[in-house]
Amino acid sequence: MRRDGAPALGQFAHNLREAPRRLREAAVRGGRPTTDRTRSTFVFNNVFLHLHAVRTHRWSLRWTTTAGLGIASVAAFLITLVTGILLMFYYKPYPDVAYDSMKDIHFVVPTGRFVRNLHRWAANVMVVAVILHMARTFYTAAYRAPREFNWLVGMALLVTTLGLSFTGYLLPWDQLAYWAITIGANIAQSPREVTDALGVTQAFDPGGLQRLLLLGSDTVGEEALIRFYLLHVILLPLIAGMLMAVHIWRIRKDGGLAKPPDVDARLGDPPPATYPVFTEAPTKTYHLAAIVRGRTPAVGGGPENTVPSMPHLFYAEAAVLMLTLLICMALSLVSDAPLKELANPLVPENPAKAPWYFLGLQELVAFSAFMGGIGIPTIVLVGLGLIPFLDREQAGTGVWFGGPGGWPLVRNSIAVGFAAALILESFAIQFGWLREWVPGIPQLVITAVNPGTVLTFVYAAYSLWLVRLFNSARAGALGLFTCFLCGFVVLTVIGTYFRGPNWQFYWSPADWPVH
Amino acid sequence: MQQTKWLLLGSSLGALALLATAALQENVFREWRRIQAEAHAADAPIPVHLRQVVNTSLGIADRCVSCHVAMGPGDQEVAGPGMAAHPPVVHDPGEYGCTTCHGGQGRATDKADAHGTVPFWPGPMLPRGMSEAGCGTCHTAIAVPQMEGLRRARVAFTRLDCLSCHRVDGRGGTLRPDLGGMQGPDLSRVGTGGYDSKWYDSHLKKSSAPGPWRSAFGSISESDRALLATYLATRVAAPRLVEAKSVFHATGCLGCHKVSGVGGDDGPDLTRAGEKDPGRADFAAVSGPRTLAGWFDEHVRAPAAVVAGSLMPAPPVSAAEVEALTFYTLSLRRRDIAGSYLPRDRMRVARFGEREFTSDGATLFGAFCSGCHGRAGQGHRSPGLPTFPSVANPDFLAVAPDALIAETIRRGRPGRRMRAWGDGSTGLRDEDVPVLVSHLRSLAGVPAPVVDPQPPRWVNGDRAEGERLFSMICAGCHGARGEGGEGLALNNPVLQQFATDTYFVETISRGRRGTAMAAFTEPAPTRPTLSRQEIESIVTFIRTWGVTP
Repeated sequence: MRRDGAPALGQFAHNLREAPRRLREAAVRGGRPTTDRTRSTFVFNNVFLHLHAVRTHRWSLRWTTTAGLGIASVAAFLITLVTGILLMFYYKPYPDVAYDSMKDIHFVVPTGRFVRNLHRWAANVMVVAVILHMARTFYTAAYRAPREFNWLVGMALLVTTLGLSFTGYLLPWDQLAYWAITIGANIAQSPREVTDALGVTQAFDPGGLQRLLLLGSDTVGEEALIRFYLLHVILLPLIAGMLMAVHIWRIRKDGGLAKPPDVDARLGDPPPATYPVFTEAPTKTYHLAAIVRGRTPAVGGGPENTVPSMPHLFYAEAAVLMLTLLICMALSLVSDAPLKELANPLVPENPAKAPWYFLGLQELVAFSAFMGGIGIPTIVLVGLGLIPFLDREQAGTGVWFGGPGGWPLVRNSIAVGFAAALILESFAIQFGWLREWVPGIPQLVITAVNPGTVLTFVYAAYSLWLVRLFNSARAGALGLFTCFLCGFVVLTVIGTYFRGPNWQFYWSPADWPVH
Repeated sequence: MQQTKWLLLGSSLGALALLATAALQENVFREWRRIQAEAHAADAPIPVHLRQVVNTSLGIADRCVSCHVAMGPGDQEVAGPGMAAHPPVVHDPGEYGCTTCHGGQGRATDKADAHGTVPFWPGPMLPRGMSEAGCGTCHTAIAVPQMEGLRRARVAFTRLDCLSCHRVDGRGGTLRPDLGGMQGPDLSRVGTGGYDSKWYDSHLKKSSAPGPWRSAFGSISESDRALLATYLATRVAAPRLVEAKSVFHATGCLGCHKVSGVGGDDGPDLTRAGEKDPGRADFAAVSGPRTLAGWFDEHVRAPAAVVAGSLMPAPPVSAAEVEALTFYTLSLRRRDIAGSYLPRDRMRVARFGEREFTSDGATLFGAFCSGCHGRAGQGHRSPGLPTFPSVANPDFLAVAPDALIAETIRRGRPGRRMRAWGDGSTGLRDEDVPVLVSHLRSLAGVPAPVVDPQPPRWVNGDRAEGERLFSMICAGCHGARGEGGEGLALNNPVLQQFATDTYFVETISRGRRGTAMAAFTEPAPTRPTLSRQEIESIVTFIRTWGVTP
């Protein structure tokens, strides 16, 4: 725009002088974030920040509410994203060459070993954080209406996280990777157990198809490597990123984190250090509230117990991010990511173990491939997905172990969950299972009745009993979720530490027979 | 809010500190950097950077020269603490790299990782003093005779004073002015490169003219020339490996193990035994070092103690021979290499049917038979295993016709550990069988029995009487149904088919010296004496187990 009468050259000089300021204004629209109003503007004018609400409830900012687990998951994801891109500069996704490039990253690339360690540790931290985050959400009953959809998005994120981790497992192309993926692919093939038993595999073979889709071939080879690489570096990160955006955005749309109804009473007055509310007279009224359906933050409650997200929430988020980074870095310095010898299809690892988060499943697979690999995971996922639709109660929302029964119920359920899993496992390890007693028993019977299904049945029965006892679906859900968490821990620990060659039970790897 | 800020500050500073630590640790405090910083060439410090030898045809990227700088291409003059240039070798380390011969992990840049003494690195460096085992990665020595044969060949070479002119494996070839000696060609590698086959004629011709040749060279007998040829064929610049291989060819390991498709299949294939991953070996019973060499050492001394359930008889070998066997086993390795690098010797074995051992009787017996039957054919007893018969027993050779021995070698003893060697899968050829038979005869110095005038089956004794006598006298050792025990199995179909009645009758009459089988026609206080007729009855009974021809 040209001011009338000013010489063009003078105008140019003026514009040049003003350019830095205008650039700043263009980037930070709405002025410096010093007042509540400009802070709010700052948040909702930024495409990334405005996934958050502009104001955050004080309840949500307490460490005990979330333990920062969701943000820790995002932080771990961001770390894997950055380190993953760095690794991609050197990694070559082709069999054997891949292994050599891993060796180069480990030994020659400047800081390559550290970057790889960081990638690996962040991936593991992400799996742990996501599982704990889900537990937190469950125990605070935060999945309840109106957050059912976000609970489902979270489950999709859990599956995506496991998928990301699993696909990354093959890429080093060492013995560990090769045989872990072979196990994983065989688990994908496990519906064959049922189709074989029914004798219809020739005509209808979903297991084989699943495995073929995963590997692109009959064995783990270059096709599988390219597939896993593509999934690992493009498809799954994109899906995870989009789901995360939806997940965080839904928090805002669902009215922030779940809070107990009496939250204001629980919190008391805001501490004096809190930034003052509305340092500037509002220039807008809540007209929007009239046309937006549902419970927007300001409807039915004042802004009293909220603080501006900028800076309160963002400081907390940044702190969690840096803390996660610190933990991952410390782990990376202490422990190197494993790299075994070059993958050799002729020398099977014994025991060949899947990644640790699948070892619970592998433990069940040892009894019945179909139930361990497909049946029980499906039951668990469907059950988890149904929880918010079955539990339509209100009591205890936003409170740890909220709902009928409370902590005593969870405590008892932990005992039941551990006891049932340990007793069943000990029994199966000590005395064997049906196949050992009745050699000619049909496979379908084993598929239906094995330690995994029995354990699921025991947990389900216990949970139904809780529903009756407390006359509450929430009580049953608390029991069931706790039991499954305990079962997961028991099976994973046994699979990780106590299973040796041929999946035999050993107290210590020192007892493993060699050869 | 305030707490959160402090947490953010603290964790950020911590993360920065860890990042700096990692950067320093990985880029500054590396051992190879220190070593290169202390080294110098011509009194000037050398540039500190990662050094490596890359050869894609061999599939190597060896960073060993980052520490062993002076061994790298063009860096021979670099000096520094603990640094030395590579001794002169056939293959230029600058082209062939380090791990091709020495093993270890070439891509690694830490000492333990590079030397391969870490978990999950299956190919650690070959032990000091056994570097020649690395030759086996690509090469194989051809026509190596058994230990004694090689020794005689070597002695002949020394005895005929070839070393006064020729240099072999770093010895000999010095100029001796007073005796008019001269410098002949170095013969250390003639086994691979070949030599003038008419050397004897040309040597003779030169010595017939006046000059230093006249006093230096005289005529050599044909047998000595054969010994020289044997010796020269094994000069492949790896004298210690050839010595070790000759021990292997005297210990009969091929009787049960295959190497490159040659040998029996009772035991594991040894073609790539030198690549065995020490991380997968059981060291519970190994008292020595927990290395692959230590494992092989102990395994040769006490096979069943190291590998539970092993049916391998412990070979009666000296400590030096144990080391030689370990050495040779370590050399059994392979690498997938580009065709242009495939050496001639390997090609000659793989494509043209040349053998890694010589085809004389002693070497064939040593390589295939001596593991069970003993180096002198004296037989072998090992705890927990059936007796391996003494095949060089003079009483056996005196009554066994060549055809029986030859057919036994060809067809083996079904059901026993003596496999059929003539089935084409063992690497033992049909023309080797008569060589082996005559070697057996030479071991005991017993010629073949005179041609038997009788037909193969002629006895016609009393079967019932034979059965009574057999169960009374013979069954204790040979089993009630001739299935064998302390004594040999008599119901074996190959024995029944190819042994003549005369053979049985004569064996019972004469017995076998040095074994529990007595001569039953001679009176003794501890057992009944058998008449000719009784012996025939027993043979008639023995014949009931065999198929009638």
